[in-house]
Amino acid sequence: MRESNPLDGPAMDRRTFLMLLAGAAAARPLDLLAERRAALGDTGIEADPWRTLDAVFEHMFPAEADSPGSRDIRAIPYLQGMLAAPDMAPADRAFVTDGVGWLNDLARERHGEDFPALGAEARETILRQVERSRAGERWLSMLLDHLIEALLADPVYGGNPGGIGWEWLAHQPGFPRPPAEKRYFELGRPVAHRTRA
Amino acid sequence: MSTEFDVCVVGSGAGAGPVVRELARAGHSVVVLEKGPWLTEDDYYKDELACCRRAAYTPDLEDEQHVIEERDRDGGWLGTPTSESGWSFWNGNVVGGSSNFMSGFFYRLKPEDFRLRSAFGPIEGANVVDWPIGYDDLEPFYTKVESVVGVSGRVTPHPHQEPRSTEDFPFPPTREHPVAGMVDAACEDQGLHPLPTPRAILSRPHDGRRGCEYSGYCGSYGCATGAKGGARAALLNHAVASGNCTIRPHAKVHRLVSDARGRVVAAEYFDAEGKNRSVTARVFVVACQAIETSRLLLASPGPRHPEGLGNNHGQVGRNLLFSAGGSGTGDLVFDRLDPDLAESLRQRGPFVNRGLQDWYFIDDPALGGRVKGGTIDFLLSHPNPIARAMGEKWEDGWLVWGKSLKQRLKSVFTDAQYLRFEVFNDWLPNDDCFVSLDRDVKDRWGSPVANVRIGHHDHDLRVGRFLAERAAGVLEAMGAANIRYGVSGAPPSNLVAGGCRFGTDPKGAVLDPDCRVFDAPNCFVTDGSFMPTGGSVPYTWTIYANAFRVAEVIKREV
Repeated sequence: MRESNPLDGPAMDRRTFLMLLAGAAAARPLDLLAERRAALGDTGIEADPWRTLDAVFEHMFPAEADSPGSRDIRAIPYLQGMLAAPDMAPADRAFVTDGVGWLNDLARERHGEDFPALGAEARETILRQVERSRAGERWLSMLLDHLIEALLADPVYGGNPGGIGWEWLAHQPGFPRPPAEKRYFELGRPVAHRTRA
Repeated sequence: MSTEFDVCVVGSGAGAGPVVRELARAGHSVVVLEKGPWLTEDDYYKDELACCRRAAYTPDLEDEQHVIEERDRDGGWLGTPTSESGWSFWNGNVVGGSSNFMSGFFYRLKPEDFRLRSAFGPIEGANVVDWPIGYDDLEPFYTKVESVVGVSGRVTPHPHQEPRSTEDFPFPPTREHPVAGMVDAACEDQGLHPLPTPRAILSRPHDGRRGCEYSGYCGSYGCATGAKGGARAALLNHAVASGNCTIRPHAKVHRLVSDARGRVVAAEYFDAEGKNRSVTARVFVVACQAIETSRLLLASPGPRHPEGLGNNHGQVGRNLLFSAGGSGTGDLVFDRLDPDLAESLRQRGPFVNRGLQDWYFIDDPALGGRVKGGTIDFLLSHPNPIARAMGEKWEDGWLVWGKSLKQRLKSVFTDAQYLRFEVFNDWLPNDDCFVSLDRDVKDRWGSPVANVRIGHHDHDLRVGRFLAERAAGVLEAMGAANIRYGVSGAPPSNLVAGGCRFGTDPKGAVLDPDCRVFDAPNCFVTDGSFMPTGGSVPYTWTIYANAFRVAEVIKREV
């Protein structure tokens, strides 16, 4: 059993998140690689939560000379598409953005800066710290799920552009491949997702 | 009394398809009430999110679920709603049912499967009985399925080959993956008899359906060519073409209404807008897959059926069956193989199509003499890339990311081909495996969901392990590395039958030998619910064959 962590408490997380949102307007200019950022196009990545999520994805799936990184597989646009999908439960959607608040709160507390401003070593330390709480582990696990999907789901969902993930892993996709109007959430479920809320 | 239709069929999968086709083509008016949408070849793509990650073909578990009762540490039973566990027991709620998504491993039962009790005697703690019909009664319908649904294969002599009325399959085997040759060589070295797995997949075009195009993504996926012999492509389309069949999708039947004589007079259902509607017919056929069929009968009390339709002796839902056994995997590591062979093994598309029935009956002192065994099937591990990658996400309880994740992905995708085996053996019917109505949890229409107790008999595990050890021996002989397998009492939710046994004595069965509900003479159950024992093969071929058999009975009555 993992030890619990002060971050693992919904009321405090929510408050922390709101405080962070209030401070978001004063965020530093991005010091990430400008040309890479430009490649992301109109994804609105400069603002949180995307700015921080992009930094988490880059840490989880770094670009290397012979293999794609999180930006090459368009992990942020993929995540944006999935969060907007009609079957995404509002609670899960909120959880993804809430986690950005927890993460930056912890980063400021430990290192005096938001997560995207940290170096690789500090990022690793912080993410492993987050993982020690149940909520933190769930949040990171959800992000990894979306990262892996962005790498290997059909490009029609916004990730894996041109099949770059399939090509890297020498994976032979099936055919026929889905057109946009036949994505899974277009297949005629009688009732839209009902939420607990 | 005039009715809207001659026949009303609840459900549209493998148990429904033959009845719908036969009755509609014989000129009777048939209405099919299916809970899910009507998807066709135009909707089925090789989309892992649709089939497997987002479960687009099954209900959201918040809307519709089951409660699964497992044994707790104190020997009692603990129910967990599947919306909490995520363990879905749905298999395909669309027109054509889960037969749209099957792998189509088609094996017949064998004559002894119809008289297990007589052939092997009783087993303590198991409710083993003989069937009220024999293999000879079903054989003509197995044969009919071969030509109508389309079964490809090649009859190959082996010690437990069942009798056939025709010499060979009407369709030649589907194309085979090079690994099949390796399986054959390893088996033959051990004196075994590898046989080409019969498949409900067309190896050539037939009857308006295209032949298989070998995309390599078959099981779990809907078929885009019509080659897979699911109920929709192979049977319902014929019925609709006859002009006598109306399919109503998004029609969730929640109650069968019966009269003072016990006869069913109407099926009540909720439509897509949630409005309660009803249909009248002269004959009703229930085929919702085993768990939901028992649930519907239990939810349908009437003047002659105070405890639920056909439940005057408390038999509905009892003796639910899954398939016992397990599965295993071995790695064929490319670096250790001849480069040309390695290259050929990388391909995806053709089928492995190899089964072993050498141990369908086992005479071994380790198992206490002659017992019923089972079937082993070899296949490539599932091609779903996201699922494969997800297997690399954890290590020792911690998430894996960064370069180590990338290295693991590269390795698992490119270092080896993975050969799997599956073991099918009897799930012994027992008093701890049954369906009831849950007292607390309801579906989105307010009806109690099915509560499923999933107790197994330990004998199943002994037989399963015996078979898995033999299958692992074949992988070892092939030079596979990292061989691992598991046999457990956890039921595979996609291989389910029983719950409404057929038999001659109403005190111990729900259905008569014609699969007519006792005390409700115009109501039949034609899915896998009728099976008193399961046999040691996937159920679909037997469900199809029996539904064709019952269709002949219904034809005589309407």
